[in-house]
Amino acid sequence: MNRGPACRYGLPMVRFENVGMRYGSGPEVLRDVNFVLEPGSFTFLTGLSGAGKTTLLKLIYLAEPPSRGLITLFEYDLAVAKRSDFPALRRRIGVVFQDFRLLDHLSVFDNVALPLKIAGSRTADFTEDVRELLGWVGLGDRLQAKPPTLSGGEQQRVAIARAVVARPDLLIADEPTGNVDPEIGTRILRLFNELNRFGTTVLIATHDRALVESTEADEMRLVEGRLVQLRKGRRPA
Amino acid sequence: MIDNHPIMPPAEGTKPLDLMIAVMALLAGLALGASLIADRVATNWQSGLSGKLTVQILPPAQGTADDGLKLETEAALKVLRATPGIARARALSMREQASLVSPWLGQDDIAAELPLPQLIDADVVPGKSVDTAELKRRLKAVVPDALLDDHAGWMERLRDVTGGVIWSAYGILLLIAVATAAAVSFATKARLDAHRDMVELLHLMGAQSAFIARIFEWQYARAAALAAAAGTLAAALFFIAIGGMDSVGIEAVPFLPPLGLSPVDFMFFPAIPLSAGLIGLVTARLSVWSAVSKIY
Repeated sequence: MNRGPACRYGLPMVRFENVGMRYGSGPEVLRDVNFVLEPGSFTFLTGLSGAGKTTLLKLIYLAEPPSRGLITLFEYDLAVAKRSDFPALRRRIGVVFQDFRLLDHLSVFDNVALPLKIAGSRTADFTEDVRELLGWVGLGDRLQAKPPTLSGGEQQRVAIARAVVARPDLLIADEPTGNVDPEIGTRILRLFNELNRFGTTVLIATHDRALVESTEADEMRLVEGRLVQLRKGRRPA
Repeated sequence: MIDNHPIMPPAEGTKPLDLMIAVMALLAGLALGASLIADRVATNWQSGLSGKLTVQILPPAQGTADDGLKLETEAALKVLRATPGIARARALSMREQASLVSPWLGQDDIAAELPLPQLIDADVVPGKSVDTAELKRRLKAVVPDALLDDHAGWMERLRDVTGGVIWSAYGILLLIAVATAAAVSFATKARLDAHRDMVELLHLMGAQSAFIARIFEWQYARAAALAAAAGTLAAALFFIAIGGMDSVGIEAVPFLPPLGLSPVDFMFFPAIPLSAGLIGLVTARLSVWSAVSKIY
């Protein structure tokens, strides 16, 4: 699959047009959502618990189809894109899941290396990169530890390292600083900023106001399934 | 040193599934062995009777029985040996005839006191046929009490019976093979269900279905093949033990022919674990594809 078009400057990374989402025959979780994520942007998605943040992220990382509306991802209209193109689209997205979703039987190293293995890289080619990244998130001495032996904060950092290791075009993080102390939270934010500076589009769902206020990044706010507020900030330095 | 760990988790809690596969493989092995034995026995029965003729000369009701029977036997032998297509004709001795009826009358000398008919065993030249109607007419002309049996009726019935036995055995083998396949398939699906979260995660990280299937299918195929191999080995050991009993003169099952298998027969047994492995592999692949297709 050609990954060229979405990297072109100025073309939207993600576009939602009148998107609605309901699970089964339940009420709509998202209603008439419209927004655009520009390439290289850094955006916070805020809102109270239950506002639909996680659902909106799921639509972007292709975990769920929308009930209605149009989603364009890397210039692919998902309504008409072939299912066989989805794996390649998903590999361009790094996701930090709210519940981490680490594989308990794999070591920290192997969990982080998973996206690279999926992309077909050989272990010898990424060993040093993975070591370095884990050192950067403060887990350089826990390479062989299994997730169940790690604290919540450590597991979160493993999940973050896994999401960014393949240098995705789009990074999505669902409450990435929820379980870490402020120092590590600042460090994680710096890592996201660093990736953003190298061109990765970042979208972080959080209800941590301090985190949002610490930068002047864009903010989208979800209230009861509607995207009601858009604040344009400056790009993080 | 970095641990290049395989992605697949170690099998946990799968012992009951493995045991189920092993038991089904044991049954499949027993059914396979029984089918091969039935086939061999049926073939032996048929080949033992084909190409043979038997003449039965009834003893005279009165007079010097022995002398008359001997003369008639000689006359019948003369007719048989002069018949085109007969390779050899031989009158059975009294001892041979007694041994034929011993299963019913015992080993005592009762047979010698009974007016048993004289049996003549004749072999047909391989590939030749004998005009039995003409032979019957010529035998009747010299020995009115002679009865010619070319075993045609018996062979026909035997063919029906052995055919039924063989097809029944293969039918049972097929049913057990289907049940074994279902057991392997069920076990594989149960294993996959336990790892559904992992399948979903890999899918969301952009893994192709083939990549995910590869992670699971070889381990599942190996697990199914190993469990089936254990069951098949047990079945093979059973037939080796039965064959050993037969070879030292112990009748394993009364009234049945020897139940041991030949080395060639045992060459069919690896098909069971190989099939189980293949079923495990295919089921894992199809199950992964099915699971992935439901995720979106």
